[in-house]
Amino acid sequence: MEIKHTALAGTLESSDIQFTLSKGTGVEINLNSQVEKQFGKQIRKVITDLLAEYDIKNVTVRAVDKGALDCTIKARLIAAIQRATDTQNQPNWEVLG
Amino acid sequence: METTTLNLKDSYYYKQWQSLIQNEGLVIENLDDITETFGIYEDDKLIATGSYFENVLKYLAIDPDYQGGNIFNKLVSTLINELAAQNIFHVFVFTKPQYKKSFSYLGFNLIAETEYSALLETGDYSIDQYIAELPRISGKNISAIVMNANPFTLGHRYLVEQAAQKSDSVYVFVVNQDASLFKTSERLDLIKQGTADLDNVQVVSGGQYMVSFVTFPSYFIKSCSEVATYQTQLDAKVFKRIASALKITKRFVGSEPYSPTTEIYNQSLQKVLPPEVELEILDRKAIDQDIISATKVRQAIQANDLATVQKYVPETTYKFIKDNIKTLIGRIHDGN
Repeated sequence: MEIKHTALAGTLESSDIQFTLSKGTGVEINLNSQVEKQFGKQIRKVITDLLAEYDIKNVTVRAVDKGALDCTIKARLIAAIQRATDTQNQPNWEVLG
Repeated sequence: METTTLNLKDSYYYKQWQSLIQNEGLVIENLDDITETFGIYEDDKLIATGSYFENVLKYLAIDPDYQGGNIFNKLVSTLINELAAQNIFHVFVFTKPQYKKSFSYLGFNLIAETEYSALLETGDYSIDQYIAELPRISGKNISAIVMNANPFTLGHRYLVEQAAQKSDSVYVFVVNQDASLFKTSERLDLIKQGTADLDNVQVVSGGQYMVSFVTFPSYFIKSCSEVATYQTQLDAKVFKRIASALKITKRFVGSEPYSPTTEIYNQSLQKVLPPEVELEILDRKAIDQDIISATKVRQAIQANDLATVQKYVPETTYKFIKDNIKTLIGRIHDGN
């Protein structure tokens, strides 16, 4: 799938994560997290795996993490992807299931 | 706890807002530079507030009893989400240096700072991207001019000519803010046309990083001179960062006999730019001791006095004004 325009999802509040997706070349992830040292690798894996499931090959991901759990990271990223690809009304059941 | 928009035209909300802002030591300048304001309430008490103007966050204040917690994140997040809903994803904040860390925890990156203020940005664009997109010019001796050129006059032409003679290459950065009689695209075109014969001049947009609502709001909104000093010094710092990337070693400005704000600006440049960037102030060009200024051109347009316009502007600008005089007079009457 292709990123059509910049989109944002999530908040900067505790236990949440804010994603900004925009057009890019290749997959570029900029992660800002206070737990980067402990969980940076895991957070990046969740993001990379989900982007692969949606078949998104070109995107710049900005993530500001405030200690979100994996399920929150997934939920926020799915929302951002659907907004950025204009597919809010067409949920991808294969990924969501 | 409840987050809501605040109508500052209602004195009930205005008083609560004003006392919170002033307790934080912020100066309220002009309500015209606020698009929308949010407040966070604990029961009936306003404990935090933040506003934005275009894509700039401002007037952020939190009651001291609630600082250091999640309220700040909630406040900034509310503002960013509101702007995102309007498809604005590149966001600036102009704040005191002691708060830059709090903003960097929320993903903001520092653009420049002085001892009084700091400018940060976040989102899908950055100053590094702006710099990367600018054309690179070669030559040892590269200089720059920043101009609004509202519109491009023989005075601007003189400034560019002088710079072109004294350097190998010249960047002309055009103020990119639609807050003037002539639109940004018109100003840019007229500068390009009016300097087309000068081979070593490169006309580029100043983006949001040069004399914009972001770096220097008091250029567009009247403010006290102290505020203008803070802002101009920050603007000069931002320029210095761009200059260093493009190997610009000199900046030319025109002397400013009329506008006190521009005079403060020139003083700040003199203070901040050297030694890396030299500042050269050129005397303004005069015709029969009558200094050329864009203000005089705009006054002549308002009076539908094309003969006076012709005296002050190059042929290219004159043709544009002549062809569009009705539209321009209309804009003046509509308050632009």
